[in-house]
Amino acid sequence: MKKSKNIELKIIFIGILLFFLTFFLLPLLSVIQKSVVDSEGVTLSHFAEVLQGGSFLQALGNSLLISAFSAVVTTVLAFILAYSIQYTNMNGTLKKFIRTATILPMFLPTITYGFAIIYSFGKEGLLTKLFGRQLFHLYGFNGLLLGYVIYTLPISFMLLQNTMHYIDKKFTVVSRIMGDSVIRCFFTSVVRPMLGTFAASFIQCFFLCFTDFGIPASVGGKFEVVAGVLYNEMLGSIPDFNNGAVVAIIMLLPSVVSITMLKILEKYNIRYNKVSEIELKKSKLRDMGFSVLSIVILTCILSVFAVIFVIPFVEEWPYRTTFTMAHIRQVLSDSALLSVYGNSIYVSILTAVIGSAVVYGAALITARSTLSVKCKQIIEGIALVTNTIPGMVLGIAFMLSFKGTPIQNGFIIIIVCNLVHFFSTPYLMMKSSLEKMNVSWETTARLMGDSWFKTIVRVVTPNAYTTILEIFSYYFVNAMVTISAIIFIAGAKTMVITTKIKELQYYNKFNDVFVLSLLILLTNIVVKGMIQFLANRKSNNKTKKEES
Amino acid sequence: MKKKMIRLLLAATLTVSTLLTGCGDSAASQVVIYSNADDEAVTAMKNALDGNGYEGKYIIQTFGTSELGGKLLAEGKDIEADMVTMSSFYLDSAQKTNQMFRDLTFTSNALDTYPSFYTPITAQEGAIILNTQMMQDNNLPAPTSIKDLANPEYAGYLSVTDVKSSSTAWLLIQALISAYGEDETKTILTGIYKNAGDHIEESGSGPLKKVRAGEVAVGFGLRHQAVADKAAGLPVDYVDPAEGNFTLTESVAVIDKGDKSNQMAMDMAECIIKNGRKELLETYPIPVYEGETAPAGAASGNPQKFSEPLTAELLKKHQELSEECK
Repeated sequence: MKKSKNIELKIIFIGILLFFLTFFLLPLLSVIQKSVVDSEGVTLSHFAEVLQGGSFLQALGNSLLISAFSAVVTTVLAFILAYSIQYTNMNGTLKKFIRTATILPMFLPTITYGFAIIYSFGKEGLLTKLFGRQLFHLYGFNGLLLGYVIYTLPISFMLLQNTMHYIDKKFTVVSRIMGDSVIRCFFTSVVRPMLGTFAASFIQCFFLCFTDFGIPASVGGKFEVVAGVLYNEMLGSIPDFNNGAVVAIIMLLPSVVSITMLKILEKYNIRYNKVSEIELKKSKLRDMGFSVLSIVILTCILSVFAVIFVIPFVEEWPYRTTFTMAHIRQVLSDSALLSVYGNSIYVSILTAVIGSAVVYGAALITARSTLSVKCKQIIEGIALVTNTIPGMVLGIAFMLSFKGTPIQNGFIIIIVCNLVHFFSTPYLMMKSSLEKMNVSWETTARLMGDSWFKTIVRVVTPNAYTTILEIFSYYFVNAMVTISAIIFIAGAKTMVITTKIKELQYYNKFNDVFVLSLLILLTNIVVKGMIQFLANRKSNNKTKKEES
Repeated sequence: MKKKMIRLLLAATLTVSTLLTGCGDSAASQVVIYSNADDEAVTAMKNALDGNGYEGKYIIQTFGTSELGGKLLAEGKDIEADMVTMSSFYLDSAQKTNQMFRDLTFTSNALDTYPSFYTPITAQEGAIILNTQMMQDNNLPAPTSIKDLANPEYAGYLSVTDVKSSSTAWLLIQALISAYGEDETKTILTGIYKNAGDHIEESGSGPLKKVRAGEVAVGFGLRHQAVADKAAGLPVDYVDPAEGNFTLTESVAVIDKGDKSNQMAMDMAECIIKNGRKELLETYPIPVYEGETAPAGAASGNPQKFSEPLTAELLKKHQELSEECK
């Protein structure tokens, strides 16, 4: 009986396992192999060389410090924003604005971040000019912190706000009725059910910062980080994959710690029978406070991106600031652009569709199945480690593993690479939303005579609908803006729009870079808007049904 | 619902199988060219090819030097490209590790001797780059040599490239070693790195980016990029340093794909060298082949050549010297 019960999930599990064995473990092994092999055979000399390289340990320490600090700051800021939406009665339009503005930076390729920061806070920066002086020393710790927070805030916000959405707000009322103080109530009914997500957010942000190369390349200054060492070894003026592989493997170590940490926090996860909408207690002070806080946070972030909207429309920032449409016309008249743009859309849609299916399947296994703990741990492990591989390493690993195969230079390898690269965050979102749903649905449905498949389609999926749409757009948007891995595996006929941006960046054509960034931004906003529309329609239908 | 799922699955399988097989035929006929060259060079190559009957018979895909370097090393002969243009010493390393290029079947009468599997398309020079407005605003004297850049007055106003990550910096180090020997170079380089501080860049185009953005007043980078900026009306100028404008070449090479080698790739390589050099000389005014002269007014003040062959080993040695100065 028990065996037949899980047959569908087992098939899904095996499918997912095979997928990651081929497209994650295999490439990973190629990296590990590079780190311990030289022309004479197995050796630890690459490790010795890297570790004795003087600045390596210093860079590693710097990276751990700045990544952890940024992750804490980001998570706190994201919590404030998410709390404003879920637990205050602030103006609905303002809530909508917070929701949109917070994730806006995610719609832009990270290549633009470093440059946007320099052109905002630098000596000739837009904000420097507005304030009449440089606000702070840009290079090193400060610049990195700013860049990382902007980069990771959307992801942290999505994770927190997603979980908060599935917390039963009635518990807050119960806690208050039971006579808990405001602070105690806050901790038992909001913070405690969120602990797992806090940890997830911290870990996601930590690794995004830890593995990012673009931001330190622009504003890192003398503050050397480990991603810079990785770049120098792998892609420096004398590329050395062996030493590069060593750095990449050492960069995987912190993920072991994080897997343990998430496991410990697992037991704090709480399931709810249903998520009930309640009237929040009226508090003008609270609403005002959070409105102001949110607006301040978002103003700081959006002001950094203001230059992206200014530069494409002036002749030559910052020297000739007359309005012109010439850059826009010039970029859009490039005949090759349409085809790379088309490729981008194609890749992003397929990534989003297949990605959502894979993530949903994986999350069903960990959150709603009776498969053994081992199986679940495998998936959890995959989710965490995929997040700790820098895109550059993933791209190179894919090249090493799949050269000479039919998928080389095709679209499929790009899509698969995106699926693996961005698996972690949507998986965590999906898992935490499925976990919050009542665990006995499947059993009840089975007793009523429904198959597992029917239950998933009729009960679980409709309840997870918003999250599914969120992860769909997460994959789409990321496939649209990503560059670090796919630059290595895109062929001459499968180039996407970000590779074009990378080209332009090499020639310092930032006017054109920003024009294309705006095009990507626009595309992402349109897609996100369409998805939002779908989500709203669905929830409207639902309310109508309930009313009738 | 189940039917719908099955249909979806079928559709997905179908799409995937078309993706896998779709790109077989058309790829064989077109020559794929991978290049790390700048815009101007790519245009010159395109003009040479299009003007000689190759229009539509090739695709050029450009990459950054580091990405293309990574691709050559990782993919070897399995690389999609039939032909590449790339910094010469990367081609040397790639050949050494992967034995991936064919010997060229045409002669080119180069002024120097090069390995049998590549021949230069351009020679690129290093120069000091200035933001004229920043120089004026901060009352900075114009440097005349690379050695000047170690003077304390440029502290905080200077940006250079790290030779560990980009070979553009090698042009600076070659100049210093040629003029002052290794020991004095260490002293000067230490001063330069101290002045550059936060602005030791990973990318070769980094210093020019900082100069343009007004973050620094002085940088060291590729001469032709500064020339282009000046011509475009930016407050950018350049100085040919007293130690000399040293050069690195970028070359064309043809991938050895055994039986699958596309003969047209070799013909196109020849066509670029025979017909593209004239236009290339306008942007990169260093004669590389017999009978060439730099266009009037475009030549740099002080072209120089390093006494030893520019190999990866030499670069490694110079990297180590540079690391000592940080």
